[in-house]
Amino acid sequence: MAQALAQRIAAAGTPVDPERPFVLAAASSGGPRVAALNEAAEAAGLMPGEPLADARAKADFLQVRGVDAKADDAALRRLTLWATRYTPTAAPWQDDNGADGFFLDVEGAAHLFGGEDRLIAELAGRLDRFGLAARLAVADTAGAAWALSHFHPSPLLVLPSGRQAAALEELPIAALRLSAETRNGLRRLGLKTVGALIDKPRAPFAARFAADLLRRLDQALGRIDEPLVPIVAPPLYHSLNYLFEPIVTAAAVVARASRLMQNLVHVLVRDDVGARILRLCLYRVDGAVETIEIALTAPTRSIPHVARLFALKLEALAAMEDAGFGFEAIGLAVTRAEPMPARQIEFAPSSASPADGNESAWKDNDRAERCAALIDALRQRLGPTSVRRFAPVPSHLPEQAETLTEIDGNAFSSLSGEGNKNGAWPEPAQPHPLLLLPQAEPAEDVMALIPEGPPRRFRWRGVTYDVAGAQGPERIGAEWWRHREPEPTRDYYLVEDLGGQRFWLYREGLYGRETAAARWFVQGLFA
Amino acid sequence: MQELRRLLPARLYQIGADKILPFGLAALDDCLPHGGLPCGALHEVVPASEKALPAAFGFIVAFLARLARSRPLIFVLPAYERRRHGRLSGHGLNSLGLDPSRAILVEPGHRNETLWTMAEALRSAAPQAVVGSVDRLDLKTSQRLHLAAADARLPLLLLRPARSLEASAAATRWRIGTAEAARDRFGLYMRPRWHLQLERARNGRPGEWVVEYDHVAHRFSLAATLADPAVSHGPSVGAEDRGCRHAGRS
Repeated sequence: MAQALAQRIAAAGTPVDPERPFVLAAASSGGPRVAALNEAAEAAGLMPGEPLADARAKADFLQVRGVDAKADDAALRRLTLWATRYTPTAAPWQDDNGADGFFLDVEGAAHLFGGEDRLIAELAGRLDRFGLAARLAVADTAGAAWALSHFHPSPLLVLPSGRQAAALEELPIAALRLSAETRNGLRRLGLKTVGALIDKPRAPFAARFAADLLRRLDQALGRIDEPLVPIVAPPLYHSLNYLFEPIVTAAAVVARASRLMQNLVHVLVRDDVGARILRLCLYRVDGAVETIEIALTAPTRSIPHVARLFALKLEALAAMEDAGFGFEAIGLAVTRAEPMPARQIEFAPSSASPADGNESAWKDNDRAERCAALIDALRQRLGPTSVRRFAPVPSHLPEQAETLTEIDGNAFSSLSGEGNKNGAWPEPAQPHPLLLLPQAEPAEDVMALIPEGPPRRFRWRGVTYDVAGAQGPERIGAEWWRHREPEPTRDYYLVEDLGGQRFWLYREGLYGRETAAARWFVQGLFA
Repeated sequence: MQELRRLLPARLYQIGADKILPFGLAALDDCLPHGGLPCGALHEVVPASEKALPAAFGFIVAFLARLARSRPLIFVLPAYERRRHGRLSGHGLNSLGLDPSRAILVEPGHRNETLWTMAEALRSAAPQAVVGSVDRLDLKTSQRLHLAAADARLPLLLLRPARSLEASAAATRWRIGTAEAARDRFGLYMRPRWHLQLERARNGRPGEWVVEYDHVAHRFSLAATLADPAVSHGPSVGAEDRGCRHAGRS
């Protein structure tokens, strides 16, 4: 795979002749070294890791480019994401694994392709068409698969279950993904193959080498688990559909997505849960993956609702412009689910005599559901932060006394129902303006009879207002426990001008004590 | 306060169950068909001048506070208008007697999205009422919104800019002006007052009043100064400001 990455990077820069020796060089202590090379360079006898100067001596007219680790990483992630079309758990390799491949957890997914050998044959075929020379191995453990893919002569290998000890025996120590230090230590002891370690007394190794060694050995043999770090959170429920004919239009995508949702609904009902976060993966023919995530306000199992949300989202994203040659596979995953008890839909509404309480509870439920559906729809089109509700904040400063929060599913239990006692909003002691200016705006030319008295005339936004009546002051002290620097005290006045307009003005600073010339601000407008 | 609440007519909170939304004020309700605002319809609220915008907003909020409390209220206030008239305050809603936790604030970034949001909110039949703010509105769009409101049987209250004279399909159009607040005998602010002008009412007749609103009882009442002839019989168009000043002072 290293060669392929090299070729891909080369394509980005000035033209590189792939038929001629070409290497990527990385800086290291003692000069640049070869990090990756193409087949021609390999044929010329170059080796990864040798100094670039040596390489230049071996192959004449060597083409050299610098390594772009970020681009490599991005390419690997893209490919790993694409591989989620085989199984939801795909983990790109980190540095300790060489960072040039990925693990797929194909347990439970292989039968969809007619067995593990068919699966990797299909995977190899597709990678080949992308121009990637890949080595694939299937084994019981991630460690064994890694070892076989790197050191087994066959590029495509399915190891029968339970045979990893025998298969690893012949492989060199490097197959265990050990640090260079441990590898050197083992080599000095004359231990060259994995077989030399298996079934040997453990204590001497544990005493001599880092814990790394035995852990890697145990992981390869399946004695301990090796947790994979999947590229995307593994879904709770997942449904995938391979298409015979690539689809391009948004309508087709939505239709497919609702089919997938239909598949999931049975499982969701069985587990008494509803989806809170859904992820739609669109696998493009050329290997790119579009991921669309939808967060719902309340758990849902409704197919039309989900379909509608995807339609809105696609419209907003205009992701379809990027369809290229179309999508060849489409997967829908539930990444977060929440309990959603089954609820009896109204059964013969006119018959019997449903207890009034029950009926209203049913209506409440229905209402909350519709509300959640509406908010979901608005969010998909307008963005997640554009639909919010008010929440009080315990603060004396008016501009900090409230905030807007995103709505979650629990919001509706409090919304619905008559007995809505929301204690969070304090009973207003003083009238509060209906509209708050985004920022308090200075009021100019303020006239007051005495410096600490109410204003008689002020100018705001270029208009002079004559005050007919002012009420106040309501003194709001600075929140000394929040700020190190003491902020000036504010005196608030409810001011009405001759035309009946009502303002909320404040004077900043106590006259004589905090300031000599107090400044005035307009902060709000009363209804 | 407790006593006031007890005195509330029991059916006040049932408003919204039937199709008419009365103000509970005979003078107003008499001008409206069936004694109240039709529920499934578009209602336009226009401030008499740019300065009266908070008053117009207040009138809308006061009206909404009277509706049944079971469902949320959707406020569609475009983000691009926030700079001009400030942002809606939860505490401010609370002081007008509307529980802020019922309000859902939607802030679209574009005019088309504003229209879409209002239509969507109506279609879902989830809220109790929808409030929107739109600058320009052609007849076709207003018809569409009106039909959406009629289908959903929900009121859509549309705040329009002060100088909007386009024809629209709205069932009523209110022009709201400022008026001097009601004060108690110590001269303290007690209740807001607004100068209402019912400019157009389908199947109703226009009128003009100065009303005050009690946020505790959710009740509209005529301001005591209505006796002022300048208001009840005075010239209407173009003289709102003068009219309400007279009303306040006498």
